Amino acid sequence: MRRSWIGAGLALLLLGAVAAALVLGNRTGDELTVVRGVIGSEKKPFFDDPQVQAAFAKHGLKVEVDTAGSRDIATTVDLGKYAFAFPSSAPAAEKIKKDRGATVTFAPFHSPMAVATFQPIVDALTKAGLVTGNSLDIRKYLDLVANGTRWEDLAGSAYKARKRVLLTTTDIRSSNSAAMYLAVTSYVANNDDVVSSPQQADQVAPKIAPLFLDQGYSESSTEAPFEDYLAMGMGKTPMVMIYEAQYAARLFAADGAIRPDMRLLYPTPTVLSKHTLVPFDEPATRVGRLLTEDPEFARLAAKYGFRTANPQIFTDLAKGTQLATNLDDVVEPPTYEQLERLIAVIEQRYL
Amino acid sequence: MRILLALVLVLGLAACSPGDGGDTLKILAGSEVKDLEPLLKESGIDVELTYTGTLDGAEQVASGRAGEYDAIWFSSNRYLSLIDGARARLGTQTKIMVSPVVLALKPEKAAELGWTGKTVSWSDIATAATAGRFTFGMTNPASSNSGFSALVGVAAALSDADEALSAEQIHAVTPRLKGFFSAQRLTSGSSGWLAEAYTKRPDVDGLINYESVLLGMGGKLTLIYPSDGVVTADYPLTLLTSSPKKELYDRLAAWLRTPETQRKIMTTTFRRPILPEVRPDDRFGAAPLLELPFPNRRSAADELIGAYLNEVRPPARTRFVLDTSGSMEGDRIDALRQALVTLTGADTSASGTFSRFSNRETVTLLPFNNLPQPGREYVVPEKNPESTLMLIRGYAGGLRAQGGTAIYDALREAYQKEVRPGGYTSIVLMTDGENTDGSSLADFELFYRQLPEANRAVRTFVVLFGESDVAEMTRIADLTGGAVFDARQGSLAAAFKEIRGYQ
Repeated sequence: MRRSWIGAGLALLLLGAVAAALVLGNRTGDELTVVRGVIGSEKKPFFDDPQVQAAFAKHGLKVEVDTAGSRDIATTVDLGKYAFAFPSSAPAAEKIKKDRGATVTFAPFHSPMAVATFQPIVDALTKAGLVTGNSLDIRKYLDLVANGTRWEDLAGSAYKARKRVLLTTTDIRSSNSAAMYLAVTSYVANNDDVVSSPQQADQVAPKIAPLFLDQGYSESSTEAPFEDYLAMGMGKTPMVMIYEAQYAARLFAADGAIRPDMRLLYPTPTVLSKHTLVPFDEPATRVGRLLTEDPEFARLAAKYGFRTANPQIFTDLAKGTQLATNLDDVVEPPTYEQLERLIAVIEQRYL
Repeated sequence: MRILLALVLVLGLAACSPGDGGDTLKILAGSEVKDLEPLLKESGIDVELTYTGTLDGAEQVASGRAGEYDAIWFSSNRYLSLIDGARARLGTQTKIMVSPVVLALKPEKAAELGWTGKTVSWSDIATAATAGRFTFGMTNPASSNSGFSALVGVAAALSDADEALSAEQIHAVTPRLKGFFSAQRLTSGSSGWLAEAYTKRPDVDGLINYESVLLGMGGKLTLIYPSDGVVTADYPLTLLTSSPKKELYDRLAAWLRTPETQRKIMTTTFRRPILPEVRPDDRFGAAPLLELPFPNRRSAADELIGAYLNEVRPPARTRFVLDTSGSMEGDRIDALRQALVTLTGADTSASGTFSRFSNRETVTLLPFNNLPQPGREYVVPEKNPESTLMLIRGYAGGLRAQGGTAIYDALREAYQKEVRPGGYTSIVLMTDGENTDGSSLADFELFYRQLPEANRAVRTFVVLFGESDVAEMTRIADLTGGAVFDARQGSLAAAFKEIRGYQ
């Protein structure tokens, strides 16, 4: 970690000076400026961290957050109550920026989508040819789902469940992590190409709708199914689509939540969730800038498993863990409009 | 059985920290979390819990009628989330603890069935139930989450579906559900009351209930975790978007999720911790629990509850002993007519739909004044219930108030009617005043004790109204194993609706 600090060198010093200027410029009294934001639930532990709060306080800021699904943030949440929105994806942020006429956005953290699972599941999927090393082949996975394969049907599966082989996701109608999964699966179902026209969306959506609908009830925020995974284990959630950061944060914290039989797989291809802050006023812009430019926040963000502009911080922390430091096969998500169109087609099938 | 089920039980938990400045977090809750009250007192946060039924609560929240509350706390938000418009009213949701719905049997019965320490599936359980090899109690799925979860689980398991149930699959599985529920002998509107009622019923072999309730019964039962899966409650403490008390909510949620509180929840309420750092101890058993898929469409959930009430469950035989004495004149007789009309399907909300007189139900209306009046018996047909419901509505509309109050003569009459096997017979006693004519409470007790066993097993659910004699009414409920419902402040229709969960 030390090396990364040195590596960052002058740039960091410069940023520090900028930050110091900001602090000095705003610390006219002891009163902290309260900045309220609505964020994706996976970033709540970061904002709740006393160290993060102390770091904001140094700059005269007190950041308060509510959580909501990223799609809800972009559509139904009353943003008038907040100084910033911090959804978990670039498409949602793009929409908010446009709707609210915001001039800047900040993308301080990103995290690839990953699959949290268990060793017996990895074994079964490896035998079935879906998993190689830590990579889950999405094309083969889609084929397996299309066949309606049940866990108990997989040859040599130690996980004897009648339910179908299906990744648990959040509700596609409200949550970003499900939308990011949709980005990956729609890319594969669209013959390895980003869905870029309404025609393609209409063609692809029915093919991937069962991935969501057949799960039955799904939760609206990303923390919920991951919590189920951690607390209730394989019986409830054999594999769940998450942000890598959720898993990494628990690994780094070494709090015993990640038990020896837990595994992290990366879908191939995967997609990056670019957590993007859209500020609506000046103090919120400062929050965005601090998160993006201040090395103290980059260091704290890494603790929560996020990758930041300085990859070395994450690489150092990830050394010797299950986490992948290099991701080869990363695709772009569709634009907000195409993503919405895909979701809308699937949404209709819930009725 | 002395249990006072007030319609709205408000409990102000004393604030331990004076710094709160009277700031109270008002929570609309399911009675399932009532056992956490003592623990909540240690939080140092002023919490006020108001209890309501699952469906009722869900509708209040979805329709925006829960605006006076800051948060909700039910055993699950799943059904609620399926209602149109509900999700927008739900803010941050924090899961607090976990408890699966499972079957528990008396150890002898479990051994007799060869299930002790064995892998048992819902299919095995259904086969044994259909063959009459054991009996059980379960809460009403329309009133209580444990019953609803059990119904979803059993239906999903028996349908052999590999995904969430659709309406067609529910239709197909109905005959098997009928076999399964033919072994049900005890029903209830709440999980706690079910557990208590069970202890007085030696003929009932077991219960389907939350693991926490079953473990809390003192280790007298053998818990059976079906190998094909369960439905698990996760008790999300949920901030309502309309509430300004976010900070207070955050503090309570954070406190509930500290390792220390989580351990206390586990040891005092037998629920599994949600915090992965706190591992469940030995009492919960080591078997991994498979989770069955839960419907993602409201239509499927409603279809399932409707099928249970109208086709699957053993039919109810419901006797209403109704005070039509002179003191009921005016608003009161109107309220009574309205309460009965509500149960004929006039209330089109989900909780109203599911509390209407069900298909196959026998409804006997027994009005009284200074003498029992000639009553009427209606049998709601298996299909097309509307015409019979119309007749009941007409009869209710014709009720007139006059004369004295012969409570116990009327109740005797209700108890003398034949009790046929294969359904639940229960009595609702509604009176607005003291007994003025005919036999006394003491006379009734003597009479009751001499009744044949089957008649004595009929419970009386009493409704306090107007100037009811609370002591005597409570005595009747205790004597017959019923319960007391208080409509003195709330509406009579709401009390009648709540009693439906127990019939």
